[in-house]
Amino acid sequence: MEKFKAFCIFLSFLFTFLLFMSILSLFLVPNPSEIISSLKTEEMIYSLKLSIATSLASTVLVILFSIPVGYALSRHDFIGKSIVKSILDLPMAFPELVLGLALLLLFGQSFIGKFLESFGIKIVFTKIGIVIAQFFTALPYAVRVIYSTFEGINPRYEFVSRSLGYGELETFFRISLPLAKNGLFASTIITFARCMGAFGAVLILAGGSYMNTEILPITLYLNISYGNLGMAITSGILLIIISFIAILIFEKFEGVNSSNFKKVESIRN
Amino acid sequence: MSKLSYLEVKNISIELGEFKLKDINLKVKKGDYLTIIGPTGSGKSILLETIAGFYKPKLGKIYLAGEDITNLPPEKRKMSIVYQDYMLFPHMTAFENIAYGLKKKIKSKEEIEKRIKEICEILNITHILKRNVKTLSGGEQQRVALARALVIEPEVLLLDEPFSALDVKTKENLRNLVKKAVKEYGTTVIHITHDFEDVWSLADRVAVMKGGGILQEGSVEEIFYKPSVNFVAEFVGTNVLKGEVIGKDENGLTLIKVGDTVVKSVDMGNGDVLISIRPEDVVVFYGEKRCKVKNIRRRGEVVEITLDLGGETLRSLLTPNMLKTLNVEDEVSISVDPNSVRIIKSLKQKISYKN
Ligand SMILES: Nc1ncnc2c1ncn2[C@@H]1O[C@H](COP(=O)(O)OP(=O)(O)O)[C@@H](O)[C@H]1O
Ligand SMILES: [Mg+2]
Repeated sequence: MEKFKAFCIFLSFLFTFLLFMSILSLFLVPNPSEIISSLKTEEMIYSLKLSIATSLASTVLVILFSIPVGYALSRHDFIGKSIVKSILDLPMAFPELVLGLALLLLFGQSFIGKFLESFGIKIVFTKIGIVIAQFFTALPYAVRVIYSTFEGINPRYEFVSRSLGYGELETFFRISLPLAKNGLFASTIITFARCMGAFGAVLILAGGSYMNTEILPITLYLNISYGNLGMAITSGILLIIISFIAILIFEKFEGVNSSNFKKVESIRN
Repeated sequence: MSKLSYLEVKNISIELGEFKLKDINLKVKKGDYLTIIGPTGSGKSILLETIAGFYKPKLGKIYLAGEDITNLPPEKRKMSIVYQDYMLFPHMTAFENIAYGLKKKIKSKEEIEKRIKEICEILNITHILKRNVKTLSGGEQQRVALARALVIEPEVLLLDEPFSALDVKTKENLRNLVKKAVKEYGTTVIHITHDFEDVWSLADRVAVMKGGGILQEGSVEEIFYKPSVNFVAEFVGTNVLKGEVIGKDENGLTLIKVGDTVVKSVDMGNGDVLISIRPEDVVVFYGEKRCKVKNIRRRGEVVEITLDLGGETLRSLLTPNMLKTLNVEDEVSISVDPNSVRIIKSLKQKISYKN
């Protein structure tokens, strides 16, 4: 028993050490001047800007969409609820590339794609495609967090509000949303981080073309394939810094004792 | 509609997951105070929340002042609810909580403040109005919740075990405040409780629930002295004993022989009867020895002793200092106020007393 315990602890340390070293090497391997010059390239600036813009857009969409979905799943029983829940969870288990392929077929080949195109909305190989891909990648996570947030709020708060004369919608905005504040905040941060890091689905649906649908993970990928290590590492560093800032904001606003962080953690792991 | 049924629940059935409320009927008069008692899980809360409109019944109707409100949403029913765990909105101060429902009803700021002042004086919470509700004690939180529910002057006030989380002293205090406030506003109340003190001191009527149905509904007197089924008797703790009427004393009180003891009752009867005696109405003393102490058990503040009256078992509640000298197997005498000995049923024919 004792030996097994020692072995498990050893493994945890070994893994943590390797992870830490790999992150560290990202910052240590390249020489700083190369990173500075990579940062200043037109491509990097374009990619950073596009990443932030598309991620912000998809985060807003995801949150606007997952609030009613999470609320409905938590509060109401309806026919097909369990099917809706499983399908919403699917993309978490899906390889992102397959999700991208599925989206490509949906928006490229099916009537939905043709329908949108008739309004002049092109999704495949466009910036809208990036947002769509990020949306579908991040949505399940946001729905999960928001769902469990509403699950944690006693519906009797809403009952009391209703009995005091407030309708369904007023109660939602005056009581349910304010009580869900922490969870909504957590899911916003998580969503943004997921959107920034989305790669496979974006690559397939939006094409990953140079200085057009190029976001940071795509920059990393393109430059690795050209053997341009400096550019690749720089985009990697940018991605890490952005995740770090997200986590910091998250912890600052969440406080130490919030349970939402655990929820998010358990979902991510 | 007559005053007889201001709120009427008619044949209500509802299914929630595994649980069913079956064919519930209730009538509450205007200004009446109805308590609902019954074991945990019997569907008391679901019934209350169905009356409030949070759940839609599968069958049946609910009427308020003659109007069919079965399909009315909760916000249109003019009922307010208070829960055991207060349910104060944590993102609002005490004042904002109380003002919440009022703001919807009246626009004038002065009027709102005036009404809040009134109710807060009755409930004695004027000094805590600016506080964050999370910093209030349980008793204070529950007074704020009561104020929030009462200030909109609801047609019906629904209370779901409102005092259960509070200590004995606070409970007593809140009971008196509720009594005062309800009287002041003339509110009709439905109050779920598992504390018989609430029933004694507040209720006009009592309903006993079990397994999703109402077993008995009646005045406090009827429920505690004339329980219609064994379960109710057991639940409310009333002694139900077999006796035989053996005549009348010089004051016209009925003499009833129970085992080897004779008790007096204000009720009329003859032959074999079933009588009920509340355990707290039994006085035990050393006298002509007629019954034997079978068991002594502490139950919180009181002691329950079980007496053998010669075939019939009688439970009695005493305060601990009354029985410093009492031991199991002692022989004692009992005396019961004739007003507390009630004849439930005549057993002239052989009626088996089972539900
Ligand atoms: N919304 C619901 N959906 C399904 N079952 C419920 C719901 N609310 C309560 N129940 C179940 O119904 C039963 C009665 O609940 P309740 O009315 O709360 O009992 P009580 O008499 O203790 O207040 C319980 O077994 C409870 O688990
Ligand atoms: Mg209950």
